Amino acid sequence: MSISLSHLTKRYGKDAVVNDVTVEIPESSLTAVLGPSGSGKSTLLKLIAGLESPDEGRVIIEGDDVTDVDPRHRDIGFCFQHYAPFRHMNVARNIGFGLRVRKQPRDVIQAKVAELIELVRLDGKAKSYPAQLSGGERQRMALARALAIEPRVLLLDEPFGALDAQVRTELRQWVKELHQQIKVTTILVTHDQDEAMEVADQLLIMHEGRIEQAGEPTELYERPATDFVHGFLGPTTKFKGVPVRPHDLELVPPSEGAIEGTVQSIMELGFEVQVTVSLSDGSTPWVQMSRNEFRSLNVEVGSPMSIRERD
Amino acid sequence: MNHTTRKWSLRLVVILYLGLLVGLPVGYLFIKAFSNGFHAFWIEVTKPDAIAALKLSAEVALIAVPVNTVVGIGAALILARRKFFGSRALTLAFDIPVAVSPIIIGVALVLAYSRIGWFGGWLSSHGIQILFSPIGIVLATMAVSLPYVLRSVLPVLIEVGKDQEDAARTLGAGAFRTFWQVTLPAIRWGVLYGVTLTIARTLGEFGAVLVVSGNITGKTQTLPIYIFDAWDQNFDTIGAFAGAVVLASISVVALIILSTLRARERKLHVDLA
Amino acid sequence: MDTPARRPSSELGAPPARKGWRRFSSRLRSSFGLYGGASLIVGYLSIIVLIPIAAVAAHGFTFSIHTQGWGAAFWHWHLTAGFATFWHDVTQPAAINAIRLSLWLSLSVAAINAVMGVAIAWVLVRDKFPGKWFLEAFIDLPFALPTIVVGVVLLFLYGAASPIKVDLFETWMGLMVALLFVTLPFSVRAVQPVLASLDGESEAAAKSLGAGGIRTFLWVVLPSLWPAVLGGFGLAFARAIGEFGSISLIAGGIGRTTTASSYIYNLTQGFLWTNAAAVSTALLVLSLLILIATNVFARRIQRRLAS
Repeated sequence: MSISLSHLTKRYGKDAVVNDVTVEIPESSLTAVLGPSGSGKSTLLKLIAGLESPDEGRVIIEGDDVTDVDPRHRDIGFCFQHYAPFRHMNVARNIGFGLRVRKQPRDVIQAKVAELIELVRLDGKAKSYPAQLSGGERQRMALARALAIEPRVLLLDEPFGALDAQVRTELRQWVKELHQQIKVTTILVTHDQDEAMEVADQLLIMHEGRIEQAGEPTELYERPATDFVHGFLGPTTKFKGVPVRPHDLELVPPSEGAIEGTVQSIMELGFEVQVTVSLSDGSTPWVQMSRNEFRSLNVEVGSPMSIRERD
Repeated sequence: MNHTTRKWSLRLVVILYLGLLVGLPVGYLFIKAFSNGFHAFWIEVTKPDAIAALKLSAEVALIAVPVNTVVGIGAALILARRKFFGSRALTLAFDIPVAVSPIIIGVALVLAYSRIGWFGGWLSSHGIQILFSPIGIVLATMAVSLPYVLRSVLPVLIEVGKDQEDAARTLGAGAFRTFWQVTLPAIRWGVLYGVTLTIARTLGEFGAVLVVSGNITGKTQTLPIYIFDAWDQNFDTIGAFAGAVVLASISVVALIILSTLRARERKLHVDLA
Repeated sequence: MDTPARRPSSELGAPPARKGWRRFSSRLRSSFGLYGGASLIVGYLSIIVLIPIAAVAAHGFTFSIHTQGWGAAFWHWHLTAGFATFWHDVTQPAAINAIRLSLWLSLSVAAINAVMGVAIAWVLVRDKFPGKWFLEAFIDLPFALPTIVVGVVLLFLYGAASPIKVDLFETWMGLMVALLFVTLPFSVRAVQPVLASLDGESEAAAKSLGAGGIRTFLWVVLPSLWPAVLGGFGLAFARAIGEFGSISLIAGGIGRTTTASSYIYNLTQGFLWTNAAAVSTALLVLSLLILIATNVFARRIQRRLAS
C-alpha cells in the first residue's frame, strides 16, 4: 500500500501554498520532494502528517482516509529541520517517548531503545542530553525517536538543512542505507537537488504549490517536462530557443548544423571550463567542457566559434 | 578628556547616583531596624497583630499566586500558539493593572463590588462582603499582580517554538501529556521567574489594599498595611521598621532568586545555540 | 549490523483513534477546551479588571445603577447632570493642583531616569569590573521592594529626624527622590537589552571614519536606542503618575505636596466615591494620552530605523 494525495489544497489568506496536489507515493519507497523555498513542500509534508489541515482534498495512508484524523492517530514518524529534541530529557528518554505513550512495559522500552541507539550509532550517549550532542547526533536521535514507534510512514522535513556540508553528505548516505534496511515508506523534503538526486527512488518537483513533475531522478534529469524542472535539476542554458544542458553542447569551428558566434567570456573553474558565446541568432548560451578539451581548442575572448549539440 | 578619564567619570557618576538613590535608603533600613538590638526587633516582629498581618498576607498570596499563575500560563498558551482576532486586546487588558495607579484599582473594585457599587446589592444579598473584608483584599491583590506570569512566560513560549509539541503529537501524545511532559518543562524558568515576581508583588501591595480593606487592625491588615498603621496611628517607629525589614528581606530573597534565574537563562541560551 | 528488517505489519500501531461519534466528540472537546479556557480567562479578566475600570469611568459621570428607569430621561440626565458633576469634581482647585503636580513630577522623573538609565545601562553592558553582578541585582531592588517600605524608609532618612540632616518632608524634592527610586529599574531595563544587542560594528565604522567617542555615541548609538529610551520613559512615567505608597508618607499632610493618587485616596477616606471616580477617570485619560503619544513616537522612530 502507499500514500495517496487527492486534490490537496492549503491556503494562507488568498495564496494557495499547496495547490490541488494529486499524487501517489509507492510503498517502501524513498521519495524526495524537491523545490525552492516557498514552493509549499514543507506544508505538503505537514498536511500528510496532520500538523496542518487542508482546505480541500484528501490524505489517504495505506487505504485509510486520515484527512480528519489527528496526527497522534496517523501512525507516522516526523523529523524536523531543527530536530525538535525534548531538551530536558536525555537521549534514551527522548527515543522512548512514543513507546511510553503507548504504555509499553518498561523492559520492552529499554530493549527497543538500546536497539535503536545502536542502529543510529549513538552508543554510549544514552544518558546524554541534546545540548551535549552535535547537530548530526541530534538528528540521528530524532530519527531513532521517530522509528521507535514503528510508523508506517516516515516524514523528514529538510532534516539536513541545519548541518554542515560534510555532515550533510555523510548523513544523507546513511539515511539511504538505513532505508534499505528498514523498508518504511519515507518522504524527504529538501531544497538541495544533489541530495534529492542521490538519495531518492522517486522525485517530486514542487513549484509554487504544484507538482511540476514526478518520477525517477534520472528520468527527470534527462527528460524534464518543463523549463522549471530543467533549470532546477541541473545547469541550464538556452540553445535554439530550447533549454539544454551546457555539457550537451560543444564548441566547434564553423560547420553544418552549428550556429556561428563570437566567444564572449571564459571562466576556468578548476576541472571544468565555462565558455559563453554570443551567437548570430542573438542568444548567448554557455558551453561546459573539461579543461583538457578547452586546451585543445585554443580559443580566447573574441575568437569566432560555433556551437552545436553533441552527439 | 581622554578615553580612560571618560570611562572613570561615567562609572563614578553611575555609582554615586545608585549609591545615594538606592544604597543609602536600603542600608538605612537595616541599620535602623536593628538599632535597638536584635531583641527589640524580635519583640516587634512577634507581636500578635504583626503575626496576624503576616498570616493574612500569606493567605492572600496563597490564593492570588496560583490563580494568576494558571491564568498567565493559559493566556500565554493561547496567545503563543493560536492566532486570533482579539490577541492584541487580550495582551493590553493584562497590562492595565500595571499601568494604573493602585489607588484607582482599589476605587475601581469598590465601585464595582462593594455595597455602594454596581453589584453590591446582589453580592450582599448573598452574604458576600467586599469592602472591609479579606475577599476584597484578595481581589485587589489578584488585580495588581495579574500580568507578571504571562509577561515572563509568553516570550519563552514563543522562543521555544511549536516543534517540540508537534513532535510529541506525532509520537502519539495527547494535549495533557504534551503540556505536562514537553511544554511545561521547556518554559519552567519563565514560570518560576513570573511566580517569584507575582509573590513579591502580592506580599508588597499597599495602595489598592488600603482603599479596599478599611484598615481594621487584626482583621483586615496585611503586612504592608500593618507597617503603615504602626507609623500613621501609633508613631511606632521600631515597629514599622521591624515590619519593613521583614518585607524587605522577603523581597531581597526574591531578588536573589530572580538574578539566579536570569543568569541561568543566559547560560541556557549559550548551550543551545 | 544485525538489526532486523522492518516487520511487514507492526504490532505497535498508533494509539487507537476513537471512531465515529467518540472521535468527533474528542475533537469537539479539544476545541471546547480551547474556547472554554479562553472564556474562563476572559471572564476572570472581566471580573478583576475590566468591570471595575468600567465602573470607575461610569461612576465618574454618576452612572450608578440605582437611578430609575432606562429611558431617554435616564440618558439625558446622565449626559448633562452627570457630566456637570464630573466637570465640577475635576476642576476643583485642589484637584487641578494635585493632577498638575503628578503630571510634572512624573514627566521630570521619567526624563531624568531616561538619561541616567542610559548611563547605567552603558556601564552595565560595556564596562567590566569586579562586583558588577551586584550592581545588576541592585538595579532591581526598587522594583522588588514594597512601596510602603520605601515610603517609611525615605520618611525617616529624609525627614525631620534625619540622621544625615536632610529634611525633605513635605517638599517636592522629597517626592522626586521617592519617584526616582521606584522608576529607576524601568528606565534601565528598557534600554539595557537593546544596548547589549548592538554589535559595535556601526561604532567601529564611525571610529574608523574619524568620529570621536562622544560624537559616535550621539550620532550612531543613541539613534538606535531612541525607541527603547522612549519605551522606558513611558513605563517610568506610568509608574510615577500612579505611585502612592512610597510618596504618601514623605508628602505629609494635605497641601502643596498632594499628588493625584493621594488626593483620590483622601476622597475615599471621606467616602466621596463619585468624586474619587471622577478624578480617577481624568487621571486615567491623561496618562493614557501621554502613553499613546510616547508609543506613537517610539514606533515612528522604530520604523525609520528599520527601513
